[in-house]
Amino acid sequence: MNWKNVLYLFRIERKSGRLIRGIKATRYKENSFIAYWPYWVAAIIGVLGGFLANYVVSLIYSDASAVGLQPLSTAASAFFSVLPTFVLGISIVFTLFQQIQLAGKASSQPMYWLPITWKEHTLASILANLLGWPAAFCVGLSSGLIIFSAFNGLILQALLTVVILFATAFLASSITEIIRVIQVRFTGAIYKSSGRAAIWIRLIGSLLVIIVFYVIYFSVVSGTSTFIAGLTAVQNGAWYVPFVWPALIIAYLAKGLFLQSFLFTVLTALLITALYFLAVELNKRFGLYEPPAITLQKSGVYAPKTGLLGKFGFSSVEAALIRKDLRAFTRRRELLGIYFMPIIIIILSIFYSFGFGNGGTTAANPTISVWPGVIFLLPASGMAMLLGQVAIGEEGQAVWRIYASPISGKNLVKSKLFLIIIYSVIILLISSFIGIVVFHPTLRRTVIALIESFFMFVAIASVSLQIGLRGPDFSGTRRQRMVRQEWALIGFIVGAITGAAVFAPVLIQYIIALVSGSPVSTLNYAIGVAISAAISIAISAVFYKINVSSAKELLRKAEI
Amino acid sequence: MSSQYAVELKDITKRYNEIVAVKNLNLSIGTGEIFGLLGPNGSGKSTTLKMLMGLVQPTAGNVSVLGLDVQKQPVEVKQLVGYVPESPNIYEFLTGIEYLDFIADIYGVPTAEKQQRINEYLKALQLEGREGDMINSYSDGMKKKISLISAFLHKPKLLILDEPLNALDPRSAKIVKDYLQELKSQGVTIIMSTHVLEIAEAICDRIGIMYQGQLLALGNMDDLRKTASMPGSGLEDVFLKLTGTEDLRAIVEELMK
Repeated sequence: MNWKNVLYLFRIERKSGRLIRGIKATRYKENSFIAYWPYWVAAIIGVLGGFLANYVVSLIYSDASAVGLQPLSTAASAFFSVLPTFVLGISIVFTLFQQIQLAGKASSQPMYWLPITWKEHTLASILANLLGWPAAFCVGLSSGLIIFSAFNGLILQALLTVVILFATAFLASSITEIIRVIQVRFTGAIYKSSGRAAIWIRLIGSLLVIIVFYVIYFSVVSGTSTFIAGLTAVQNGAWYVPFVWPALIIAYLAKGLFLQSFLFTVLTALLITALYFLAVELNKRFGLYEPPAITLQKSGVYAPKTGLLGKFGFSSVEAALIRKDLRAFTRRRELLGIYFMPIIIIILSIFYSFGFGNGGTTAANPTISVWPGVIFLLPASGMAMLLGQVAIGEEGQAVWRIYASPISGKNLVKSKLFLIIIYSVIILLISSFIGIVVFHPTLRRTVIALIESFFMFVAIASVSLQIGLRGPDFSGTRRQRMVRQEWALIGFIVGAITGAAVFAPVLIQYIIALVSGSPVSTLNYAIGVAISAAISIAISAVFYKINVSSAKELLRKAEI
Repeated sequence: MSSQYAVELKDITKRYNEIVAVKNLNLSIGTGEIFGLLGPNGSGKSTTLKMLMGLVQPTAGNVSVLGLDVQKQPVEVKQLVGYVPESPNIYEFLTGIEYLDFIADIYGVPTAEKQQRINEYLKALQLEGREGDMINSYSDGMKKKISLISAFLHKPKLLILDEPLNALDPRSAKIVKDYLQELKSQGVTIIMSTHVLEIAEAICDRIGIMYQGQLLALGNMDDLRKTASMPGSGLEDVFLKLTGTEDLRAIVEELMK
């Protein structure tokens, strides 16, 4: 193993995962402060969380009536012991999301013809996965644990937990590497018949992995009164499942069972080693799979069509842009990640409707009433937010085509907005259909939710497109982002505020009704919806003008 | 604003931080002219061509294309120009025919005409039968052909071609060269950069040689020979002398050690 090679490869992988914009500058200088924001933001949140947890715990334990509570060390140990399983799950899910984007850029990998062994390549890839979101989660949790433990005399236990958290993150990264290689082989084989089929199979495959994960995860915690108690109990009972071994190290150590703890330490180390070598073997066998050329149409007989878009008032330029983007979002693998947010929200809502994850459905449990609203309101808005943010940056290195063509700012904005709205409408229809089937809402609530969702995503689309225009990332890196990270963060916050502002008039009516105990009249709902519509139209109109202006500026300042 | 020139560059400078890519460039290219832009790698050719298209903003100076100000009327300029970049990053998720259809719509080619034009070009450049394949399955030469067709499709008045014949097979290269001559006879102005000096010598009316961001020499072949004081020489010798790289023997000998 040449560790220098691992280091070089790993650096490249990580760097390509971060924002690299060297288009205007001849020499690229990375701002470390911005490049590593997930870690320091996680650390700050962790530290604040640690202080907050300590404050809350001290309040609870200082209360004279708290005589029936477990000793703090016991409760804390139980909490510490579930963290590795939590990190494992969340790391796998988030890294899988990233890999969907990665997949579209896998065609050029110099490492394949450089003198680099598969062991080095695999280790670098695992480390690159690890130092994405998994490391940020670990940093956040570790900071919180250390702060909390320092005040409560649990520092040794916390430090051990921190080590195990990072080991678990490595375990999760090895698993995602294995999934990635299997996906490469599987979709590579499918390529023989059709490129489009391969793309959808990759999407469905990844979704299946996530669904399986969620089913297992929620099954584990269902029927238990609390998350921690449930997971702790299941972990102890399911010692034969390798993925809970890291957690059992902490659990047994807390109970003073050192031999068992040592045994699971050894087993965890062996598991990590075995998974690493499995990933190496899979990479050796399938990592270089080169699919044959993709063919969508054999005949080549194709008559260019003007299409329906012209009849809706779109110019030839706008219609062409819309058609191009519709194809992009069904063919480009790296763009398929945008479908995940709405799908996950729908899946979560369905799971919760079945009683997973909240200890079962009971009339007294208010959580259950939130999900019908979530399934109607959030998927389409989430879609609008994500699409708006990436709609410009998705042009990537081919953006020269836009710059070099007679496309005006208005053309660009109209076509992109239409695309976002069309996709959001589709998601709204799907999520609403599922919502109606699963939750059986009243007709009045269904109509209100549909209208509110529509106005929410229209406003969010306009606002998010502004984010896309302000912070596009056209860099053709292997881990293409399409929107600069800082702008994505701003977009998320602004999008959430916009959605809340549009929905507020109806939500307020609902809250007033809940507090007063009397149902909301149809008239009051109608007033709320009308105000929502007015807010949405106002936001959309203002941002449409701003967007056109930004698009003009983007085209004017074109630099490739 | 009317002008006898298709392209006018006045005191153009382009800086990238401390690096000056193009320095005080003054150049006028007449209507219906085939103009060749030569120069070593990094001499500023592509940057100059991009400034003509508005893809790079000059740090100083004015660019006028077909009598229009590139900065003030970018959409109008682009409508009249066909552009082929050096390394065409084109939408690889589209099929060849979908891409050309997209381009035709962008430039507003009438529906009745676009199918006919596309078919003619596909046939001429031997892409018939492959137009339904995804572009990411194309070879570099096929991508270049698609890029060239997309530049010709809307019958532009000015063609800006950055290394247009790179990666083309000899038959296609010959067709493109002959086609450029035909376009010239119809009054189309063509500006091309190339490293293939034989091509420049064969088809260009005038040649500009750039070096370190500056125009070193400008004129037809006779003018260039005079500038280099090399009567009777070919463009290769003239080029090497003007760019100060004529003594290559020592370099080759060093490499052989």
